Amino acid sequence: MRKKVLTKVIASGLAATMMVTTMTGCTFGFASDPDDPNEVVEEEPIDTSVDTFEYDTALSGTNITLLNSKAEIQVALEAMGEIYEEKSGVHVEVMPVTDGDSPYTKVVSLYNSGNPPTLSILDTTDVIALAEEKAADLTDEPWTAEAEDYLTRVNDRVYSFPLCIEGRGLIYNKAVIDEALGEEFDPKSIQTLDDFKALLDRLVAAGIEKPISLAKEDWSLGAHHLQYVYETYDGTSEGAAETIEKIKDGSLDLDNYNRMTEFMDAFDVLKEYNVAKGDPLGADYDEMAIDLADGKTAFWFNGNWAWPNLQEAGAENDDEYGFLPYFMNNDKDDFANQQIQGSPSKQVMLDGQIASEQEQKAAKQFLNWIVYSEIGQQMIVKKANIIPPFKNNPYEPADPLSRDIYNRVQEGEAFNASAIVPNDHWSVLGAAMQKYLAGRSDREELVQSIKDYWAEQE
Amino acid sequence: MKQTTIGGNKKKVANLLAMVGLIIIFIAYMFPFIMVVINSLKQKRDIIKSPFSWLYTIKGLSFDNFVKAFTQMDFLNAFKNSLIVTVSATVLVTLLAAMLAYYIVRHNNLVSKVTFALMVASMIIPFQAIMIPLVSIYGGTLNVLNHRITLIFMHTGFSMAMSVFMFHGFIKGSVPIALEEAAYIDGCTHAQTFFKIVLPLLKPIISTMVILNALSFWNDFLLPSLVLTDKELLTLPLSTYSFYGTYSADYGTIMAGLLLCVIPILILYLVLQKQIISGVVSGAVK
Amino acid sequence: MKTKSNGKDFCMFALPGMFCFFAVLVVPFVYGVYLTLTDWNGVAKVKNFIGLKNFAGVMKDTQFWTSLLLTFKYVIVVVLLVNIIAFAVAYLLTRGIKGQNFFRAGFFTPNLIGGIVLGYIWQFVFSRVFVNIGEATGWKLFEVSWLSDPGKAFAALVLVSVWQLSGYMILIYVAGFMGLNEDVMEAASIDGATGWIKMTKIVLPLMMSSITICLFLTLSRAFMVYDVNLSLTGGAPYGTTEMAAMHVYEKAFTSRQFGVGQAEALILFIVVAIISGTQVYFTKKQEVEA
Repeated sequence: MRKKVLTKVIASGLAATMMVTTMTGCTFGFASDPDDPNEVVEEEPIDTSVDTFEYDTALSGTNITLLNSKAEIQVALEAMGEIYEEKSGVHVEVMPVTDGDSPYTKVVSLYNSGNPPTLSILDTTDVIALAEEKAADLTDEPWTAEAEDYLTRVNDRVYSFPLCIEGRGLIYNKAVIDEALGEEFDPKSIQTLDDFKALLDRLVAAGIEKPISLAKEDWSLGAHHLQYVYETYDGTSEGAAETIEKIKDGSLDLDNYNRMTEFMDAFDVLKEYNVAKGDPLGADYDEMAIDLADGKTAFWFNGNWAWPNLQEAGAENDDEYGFLPYFMNNDKDDFANQQIQGSPSKQVMLDGQIASEQEQKAAKQFLNWIVYSEIGQQMIVKKANIIPPFKNNPYEPADPLSRDIYNRVQEGEAFNASAIVPNDHWSVLGAAMQKYLAGRSDREELVQSIKDYWAEQE
Repeated sequence: MKQTTIGGNKKKVANLLAMVGLIIIFIAYMFPFIMVVINSLKQKRDIIKSPFSWLYTIKGLSFDNFVKAFTQMDFLNAFKNSLIVTVSATVLVTLLAAMLAYYIVRHNNLVSKVTFALMVASMIIPFQAIMIPLVSIYGGTLNVLNHRITLIFMHTGFSMAMSVFMFHGFIKGSVPIALEEAAYIDGCTHAQTFFKIVLPLLKPIISTMVILNALSFWNDFLLPSLVLTDKELLTLPLSTYSFYGTYSADYGTIMAGLLLCVIPILILYLVLQKQIISGVVSGAVK
Repeated sequence: MKTKSNGKDFCMFALPGMFCFFAVLVVPFVYGVYLTLTDWNGVAKVKNFIGLKNFAGVMKDTQFWTSLLLTFKYVIVVVLLVNIIAFAVAYLLTRGIKGQNFFRAGFFTPNLIGGIVLGYIWQFVFSRVFVNIGEATGWKLFEVSWLSDPGKAFAALVLVSVWQLSGYMILIYVAGFMGLNEDVMEAASIDGATGWIKMTKIVLPLMMSSITICLFLTLSRAFMVYDVNLSLTGGAPYGTTEMAAMHVYEKAFTSRQFGVGQAEALILFIVVAIISGTQVYFTKKQEVEA
């Protein structure tokens, strides 16, 4: 008997707990707590009073789907879909790529299920793999003129809409550096790898023992770090493609390629001053954001997408954060030491195989709405916190990281080189980089694994 | 029945040792859950900086994570979807598997043998091997994805083998054929015999299979994510997707969401557990 | 049973279940086998028959064989630990200890959570909680994250799998122990059989059918470990903990070699089929009719 009672007590206890939670959800759910760091900072209001965009009334009532592989803008995209529906009558269903699935896997399984999304947000390599087989030709869309430098072409045709510009480099927290140095820190004063090292040593002397945070994730190491080897060839996408071709056909020997050596020199400096030097592969992404915001570190190698994490860690929009270049050598005139890498990262592909003409038109209108309508322009910048590649968008991003990238793009202090590499590049070579980061392999082995990787590609 | 004093003491000591051992293993088992409960009440910053402590938090404890999880998951709707799918599929697979297993045990023919062998073999097919063929058949050819009924059907099909396997063992071991023969003599049809005589005897294994199947349906992620894309139809595990960002996870909300998903099934387990145990005991007196 | 109504019986009892099973599992599986003989990449409209070329691709994929070898290591450790622990705990839980129902419920709870989420929780425990404890206490064992060292990451994977699987097996072993005939046990005690002898000569043989089932289940589940592998280590550090099932998935979708991935899945299936088939054959022979 007693066992039964015990079971019942536990069951009813749990049920009660759930009831309480449920009720809390209903009654106090919408009270906001001013000290809550999870609370989204009050958003800039979207002005919907002016709208000169011409909607095609024939499209009203059409349903389109949008597959989103950029989890952090899910909420913003849903909001945009809603307003777009209000204005145009076209319903946009935003489908997320669920956890544990890659965008490509999701798209492939959706195509196999005969129910592909009308629009899909994908990585550039995915678009190139699918373009000629599945995508609608967007070459003649008006917005191509507004983003000329940021288009991806497959055999001279445009099959995708560049959604955003993302830039990466060494994020600094100016307040921390100012305080440690006891003087105003001028990012422009750091021009070479030696300058950077000297700065790091001063920070160490001032008590910041290990001033750099370095992510252990394979996408960071394999894509964001390593791809500097290709991208810094001449700072263009064509140059990066050329480099890769030369590595593949063996005409460029990585052992004697100066960018390879320079990259490892630069990486070694980061490695040396890494806050997680004792256990580099145990570094925690979220902790890095907290460390930078708290001033335990002064630098974090990452991109402008890291802002939500920093914000959660306590950073605010008017704090001074920005990027330093990935210093490759001691030549002040080398563009790699002056410029930040900033290029289009996510692409929107329109299905040209299954979607009806009506759906394709509605989807094209949605893309144009993002580029040309007052509301779309505002929302993509303010709500989704994206740096749009379209020149005609007058709105500036609000957070300091995106602002820095935005200004540098405007002033020509950013280079746009996207290296198009096979899809498993980041995971295979990310592993090789992890091994190097952990001190379990040397330079020779790292270079060899890069060579082996490219030798296997057709 | 009275035991000698020495024997009694010895037994007491043994029981005490067993108890201590169990408690230690038990705490080790519960550790991650304790972590989940503690951290579900904390803010992200505290979770990352001091995951272990409950008392020394900067921002204090609150139910905010639960509130956020509850709203972001659209909990009530997702709960309803999960409930419909889990209940229907569990009932369906339990009934069909019991009948099929009964047929296989009582008819020792070629069809039975082949089916049973195929089923045992199928339990070791990696899901990855049939994922794409499955969606291309059901989506591309038949075009029936994005319906609850398709998911229920697939859940049923995927758990059929394991369920038949378990029922088969139980029927073979614990259902005496004599009872059925008596029923036939009394003029019962096969259907009547099965539902009135055999099915009640299967109660213990039914309880076990209900809890095991319900659990796997309730928690499954991969299959529903392939079948369902319409937001209105999402089940609980699918509805927590947004807590896992591309670059980092929203730990507090994940843990709160997790507890919200687990509690209903935990209650089911606690309620059914009594049945499982008593059922197994009575079934043991063959 | 009367044979004349056999057809009707078949339609009523066997057909619905068989239909579900064949439609959902067998047909896609056969179709999948066919796909290994084509050059289909998952998206293209045309599929060309290319014979065994994909299997030649499997032979060349050294990483697959490495991961298969690692899976063997993992399976052996997991199967042994899970069954020993589950057997022992189930034994203790059927001795009439106070609150045994509570314990039984508790041990089963890891199964209440889906694999992917479970992996994330443990990742959090290993990389945050343990490291935190290590910092506070100075224990060498927890000083650095387990997940950043190949050996310890493997141990972490084993630990989590054992933790999760044993609850399920405890349930089956408990049912087995409760089914043991009291008379036989009592008779054994009267005959003076105690402790180890009672265990090996009487209990073990009677428990053989539970052992067969549990071994089979742990074997197949351990071989196909995917969820926990993906979310706990993701193959890290530097790909040293990538098991076969995860490699298959990566091959098909990350490396975009769909045919080769599909062929590897088939080979994995055959390997598991042979091993678990052998296991069932041998343990079945040990079973005694109770």
